[in-house]
Amino acid sequence: MSELRQIASVSLIGIGSLRERLGTALVIVLGMACVVGVLSSMLSLTAGLTRAYLRPEDATRVVVWNGANHFDQARSLHPDAVETILGAPGIAKGPDGAPLADPEFLMRLLSMEGFAAGSLQLEGVGAAGIALRPDFRMVAGHVFRAGTRELVVGVGAARKLGLGVGSEVRMRDGMWPIVGVFSCGGDIIESYLVGDALTVMAARRRAGFAQMIVQLVDAKAFPEFQRWLTENPALSLSAERKTDYDLRTAGANTAFFTRMTYVIGAIMALGALFGIVKIMYGVVRARTREIGTLRAIGFGATPVVVSVLAEAALLGAIGSLLGAAIAWLIFDGRDMWVWGAFKLHVSPALWLLGLAWALTTSLLGGLFPALRAGRLPPSVALRVQ
Amino acid sequence: MPLVWAALWRNRRESVLTLLALTVAFALFGTMLTLNAAYQQAIEDTRMDRLIIACAFDCGAVPLGYREQLAQIPGVIAVGAQSWLGGYVADERHPIMVMFVDEGMRAAWPELPLSPADWRVLHANPSGVFLSRQAAARYGVRPGDELPVTTYLGSSRADGNPAWYLTVLGFVPDPPAWKSGFAAPRLEPMIVGSLSYHENTIQLGERGLVNLMRVAVDRPENARAVCREIEARFTNATPALYCVPARDDAEETADANINMRQISLGIGAAGLFMILFLCANGVAEAVRERLPEFGALKAMGYGDSRIAALVVLEAALPIVLAALIGGALARAADALVGHLADAGVINMPDVHASIASFAWALAAALLIALLSAVAPLYRLRHMDVAAVMAGR
Repeated sequence: MSELRQIASVSLIGIGSLRERLGTALVIVLGMACVVGVLSSMLSLTAGLTRAYLRPEDATRVVVWNGANHFDQARSLHPDAVETILGAPGIAKGPDGAPLADPEFLMRLLSMEGFAAGSLQLEGVGAAGIALRPDFRMVAGHVFRAGTRELVVGVGAARKLGLGVGSEVRMRDGMWPIVGVFSCGGDIIESYLVGDALTVMAARRRAGFAQMIVQLVDAKAFPEFQRWLTENPALSLSAERKTDYDLRTAGANTAFFTRMTYVIGAIMALGALFGIVKIMYGVVRARTREIGTLRAIGFGATPVVVSVLAEAALLGAIGSLLGAAIAWLIFDGRDMWVWGAFKLHVSPALWLLGLAWALTTSLLGGLFPALRAGRLPPSVALRVQ
Repeated sequence: MPLVWAALWRNRRESVLTLLALTVAFALFGTMLTLNAAYQQAIEDTRMDRLIIACAFDCGAVPLGYREQLAQIPGVIAVGAQSWLGGYVADERHPIMVMFVDEGMRAAWPELPLSPADWRVLHANPSGVFLSRQAAARYGVRPGDELPVTTYLGSSRADGNPAWYLTVLGFVPDPPAWKSGFAAPRLEPMIVGSLSYHENTIQLGERGLVNLMRVAVDRPENARAVCREIEARFTNATPALYCVPARDDAEETADANINMRQISLGIGAAGLFMILFLCANGVAEAVRERLPEFGALKAMGYGDSRIAALVVLEAALPIVLAALIGGALARAADALVGHLADAGVINMPDVHASIASFAWALAAALLIALLSAVAPLYRLRHMDVAAVMAGR
């Protein structure tokens, strides 16, 4: 019998006898489900937030801002610089032949009862701001008119703050009506109030935009566009692909939480690892006579080792799928507000991460018991009662 | 006891592995309790009798003229005003934030770590600033040095110069809860200047407006009522005011973003489940393997209660030991927890595992030991002694 067939046979025998060791098998499955469940649940926040920031159309977009300041509220992009940027190579043109680029103004608003200070963002956009967002749809009312003190609110912010058409927002120069509610395919902008950039800047007494969004003809146009901007001695601008920018922004917002999640996941996995080693030693002890018999009739050590590892990996994998499934059932799609509205997302990548986490832990946990099983002399194993 | 001891050491390797697994799980449980307590402490460290007042919605523009009107409101004992100046030192890779405060802050916000002598020096040198020790270390300055702060476009001085030349007057301690920066995490370490200098230097159109005001009230229990009164009085003013007690603000901030208080409890519960599965399986296995031994004990006259005590002790000893070691590890990992929580959503105090965490871990350990013993005890109570002794 070839070694591969031996491996398959011994593994099937081991897995077939799992029903007799249901209790110990369940400990590995449930323990790993806890580890992966916690990991997937916590990371669903990062995945959801990243999904809200990253849009498919962002691959060909660039964010341009003044200097090296990454704090968007503190930047100031002069209107003259905006005109210069529009002359850069590689910018896509709209149906009217105008460059598809839009300077934006960002500010944070203090909030109402039950809402943390500084968490609501108002985004001032220009004429191309909506054209640059193909998923932008008004779900109620109408879009704000340029030059007027009007705002529209995203569905996420509307839900969170109870705002709608007819609500008013008090700005420094008086009350601004909300004239519409919009959706944008789950984009983070659904958490914001949006108005005309120049009017908002005038009310805020600011002369500079925060940043500019530029649509390139294709992703390959970026290096030349960036070179043109950075080599222009009249400008001191930074440019970054929007995908990179958003990943960095979303990542910065959740960096501490993601770091904590991996540390917690590692600690839990370590606990599970010790548990699996202990349980797999018990499994090898329970199967000693069976292993001795197999070795006596000609099965090699390798199939025995692999069968123990296969059993540990199978139980770990089942546990990981169970944990991810529980996390998915409880958390996936749940509304969340962390620096903006988004839905928690137990993504396919998280299922795979959980599986990899569980397989690594289980295989490490099964390694020493498996080696012990492989080294059992048949003569000794057969004498065990 | 000898029976319990012998049972525990029947298989040394597996006993040690069980102990290790339980210890790690309890260390996680203790760490999560510590984290939860730290967030709670961060909220409790902020005072209820300090109110934060800003303009509703459009932040950054509370008229200084409101100061006197606020002082007239019953319950208000002091009013202070503050503004921020954001900019950079040398280049935009080195951002800096300066907080300018008025004299009213001495009474409205006495937690600000400026001594009476510091206040006098600040009053006498309006273009001067005090730096926290962290800020001093970051910018490498000494008392008497000049700290040039360049502001971003749109927030420059009345004379059009974007640079503010501030004189370093001295250093003050970092407030304990602000070890990652003032006002909010991820911002800059504390630098305090005089609001009068800021007022006299900024563009004319910006004068008479501050970012926020702080109010001290006579009694913490009055704080919310005073806030309601302030908002009611200014509801039709332009701008209207938003008022929140500092502690409520910390609680809202902590819970409105990533709610670590809830999450830490959830993770702790998951850790306990892992312990329960492992412990219950260990006890069940130990009893199953030793049924003849228990049968013999019963035959020798051991009653159900003595057998129960034996099994519960066997379950409880390793788990209690693991809870103690895990608790000690969680305490040793204080620095790790502090580091993890430091860049979170609110300013964190120093994190320490408390006696209460140990007590909770021990209580959880005992409960799990009892729960783990239930099914095996039921089995032992109903076993057929003769059959077990006969190996059937």
